[in-house]
Amino acid sequence: MTAGHLLTSWLDPSLFAATALGTLAGIWIGAIPGLSVTMAVSILVSFTFAWPLEPALALMAGVFTGGVYGGSRSAILLNIPGAPAAIATALDGYPMARRGEAGAAIGLTTLASFLGGMIGVAALALGAPAIAEVAILFAPRDYLLLAVLGLLLVGSLSGESLAKGLFAAGLGVTLGVVGLDPMTAEPRFTYGSVALLGGIPYIAAMIGFFGVAEALAQLRLADAETVRQRIGRIVPPRAALRRHLPLALRASGIGVAIGALPGTGGDIAALMAYDHARRSTRTPTHPFGTGAEEGVVAPEAANNAAVGGAYIPMLTLGIPGDAVTAVLIGALYVHGLKPGPMLMIETPHLFWFTVGNLTLANVALLAFGLAGARAFARIAEVPRAVLVPLILVLSVVGTFAIRNSLADVWWMLGFGITGYALRLYGFQPGPIILGMILGPLMDASWRRAVIAAGDDVLGAAVEATESAISLVLIAAIVLIALRSFSWGKGRKALPPTPHP
Amino acid sequence: MLTRRTLGALAAAALARPVAAQAWPPRDLTGIIMWGAGGATDVVARALTPHVEAALGAKIVLQNRPGGVGAISVQAVHAAPADGLTLLYGAENPQLHKVLGLAQIDYADFFPVNVIARGVGVIVANRDKPWTGLKALVDEISANPGRVRMGATGPGGLPHVIGAMLNAVTPVRVIAVPFDGEGPGLTALQGGHVDFMPVGVAAAAEHIRAGRVKPLAVVNPEPVPSLPGVPPVTADFPGFARYLPWGPFYGVWVKRETPAPVRARLVEAFRAGAANPAFTELMARNGNVMMNIAGEEADAFLKRWQSVTSWLLQEAGAAKRSPEEFGIPRP
Repeated sequence: MTAGHLLTSWLDPSLFAATALGTLAGIWIGAIPGLSVTMAVSILVSFTFAWPLEPALALMAGVFTGGVYGGSRSAILLNIPGAPAAIATALDGYPMARRGEAGAAIGLTTLASFLGGMIGVAALALGAPAIAEVAILFAPRDYLLLAVLGLLLVGSLSGESLAKGLFAAGLGVTLGVVGLDPMTAEPRFTYGSVALLGGIPYIAAMIGFFGVAEALAQLRLADAETVRQRIGRIVPPRAALRRHLPLALRASGIGVAIGALPGTGGDIAALMAYDHARRSTRTPTHPFGTGAEEGVVAPEAANNAAVGGAYIPMLTLGIPGDAVTAVLIGALYVHGLKPGPMLMIETPHLFWFTVGNLTLANVALLAFGLAGARAFARIAEVPRAVLVPLILVLSVVGTFAIRNSLADVWWMLGFGITGYALRLYGFQPGPIILGMILGPLMDASWRRAVIAAGDDVLGAAVEATESAISLVLIAAIVLIALRSFSWGKGRKALPPTPHP
Repeated sequence: MLTRRTLGALAAAALARPVAAQAWPPRDLTGIIMWGAGGATDVVARALTPHVEAALGAKIVLQNRPGGVGAISVQAVHAAPADGLTLLYGAENPQLHKVLGLAQIDYADFFPVNVIARGVGVIVANRDKPWTGLKALVDEISANPGRVRMGATGPGGLPHVIGAMLNAVTPVRVIAVPFDGEGPGLTALQGGHVDFMPVGVAAAAEHIRAGRVKPLAVVNPEPVPSLPGVPPVTADFPGFARYLPWGPFYGVWVKRETPAPVRARLVEAFRAGAANPAFTELMARNGNVMMNIAGEEADAFLKRWQSVTSWLLQEAGAAKRSPEEFGIPRP
């Protein structure tokens, strides 16, 4: 009975330890901006080279699970998302911390991540082959539609003015396409610089626009008192859990789906879930953008659900669901396995081992997440004179670590200063990063769809009407667009994000 | 604080370090990988390096620095001192940078420490297509010019070059849809978004074995052991023979000006590492042909590859600048 391998990592002490330690290390790596899970897992491929396969996989699954969750820590406490998947968490998590509710925000995040993670694992265990077959049916035009759906998020992220949000998103798209055109290898916006051929990493922009801009904003308040944190209660009350459960479940569904698609990962999943929360919650605990609990529950449930989702095409078809699973496929090669469609047929125990292992990692996440919450929450009480230099140092180190490029550090600092100026005039950083993430996806998908139709835009449109997936996506776009536009009354302004 | 470097140091401390360290290297080496984590070059680099470290008695800290079809990494290693402490882990791409107008530096500026292995291409089709061989595919393309969709990976990529070879042997007009790599292309092939695709055997082998894509021909003068029963392209189209053997390759380079004793030490360590049975087995399983050559022998291989491929792209109208400008001889 191969399903018995579910328990392998629970019963073997060394596998148990590898998973738990991996999760703890992942939380730390995830919390430091610039240190990405992808990078950590690829270092582990060499590190665990001489190990047997199971502990190596256990360690990596732990780092993956913990890392996706850890990004929320710095987002809540410092307004610097530790990873792109935590951008949405910063939007409401940081205002919560500034209200003295850092502990509660961390508690909610931890439970949402745990729930999302478990739903991701359940989807992997129960529906993997079927979900994978649907995921590969997504054509280039469907990725374009998905990106358009994502762009509707601008409405949720722009703060006081939609026009400013659109401007910021446009800036992001422009920054996102700098570098060699992935299709024709034509340099775009590089002005002859070799350093720009590789583009501007959106993580550098994220650290600059969020972290450094935040540090500069904090400088203006250097002498103000820091907010005392109420850390009596970490685990949210039962009523809150009941209240957020339906949203967390829906967000997890979004996370599994987006994670399972080979072209998208947890970052897009979290942003889409945040948008969904905003559109579907009538009475949030606080207005969105000012510390709504729904605003941290949805993205955190989604990005951890995307972990299980990303494993789905990887384990069933040998197709990575995101950047981290791409590295995991490489790890399987190095360990003498042949990742591909035969993996599940020839080594089914590996599938059930991974399912059991991810479950264990999620339990470890819950334990470590809740246990460390009080100590972490105190970070929000650190005086600004200490905190601001710390943020700057972290930002520089993290940016350099992305790909050991000093040019990226200069970009990051430049973005920080620009971001501060933009903030003063009410431009939000969210749409910029959204544009940088979705811009290249839209660019490539649009051109791929049109090229595939024989350089015929009309032909591509006709093809879209013949596919069920495309029609569903088009319907979703139309519905959301119609609902966010109240005819006759003008656009109802979303509440502005208060300036710190 | 946990930085990448301390992580590397932790890794170094954990792996047993052989005692017999010689005077060189004075410190850890840096290996710069020109493609991203999880790609074919990355897998080769990370699988080989532990064996080399054992032979060298020193640690090689690996970093991925992708971007610019490899140009970013080439530039970075070229800018480092010629002391042999910065290694370039690369693939074939820089040999085309000049004709594609991407950069002026190629492997002529580097000393080949080891050309590890070369890959072989295979032309695969969506499994629902009626084609039983390459001939049938070419017939369909000729009957419907500009209708059949080919998966590609951008200029200078393996699908592009093999497509150009096919076009030179028998004129074919197809729609080439570029994807971000062989993996995403194969995914699209299985989803039915493209009809066929030339890819490396390493990327396609498992999908072929599972029957999810259909192999039509291997791009090699003779069949390859990892794909029994798949005919060579030369069976239907003997004209291919003049370009073969051809394929992507992986290797390790240092700057050309590196002192001779240092070069010799690196060559020796990599030769021993690449001969490790665990590694050669991995490479064979991935459908690669081991080469494990260095110095002049490797230089000759690199020159011939560049000359064949550059002129092929030039004749296909895909080169931005003529190979003649750079003194690349005709094959």
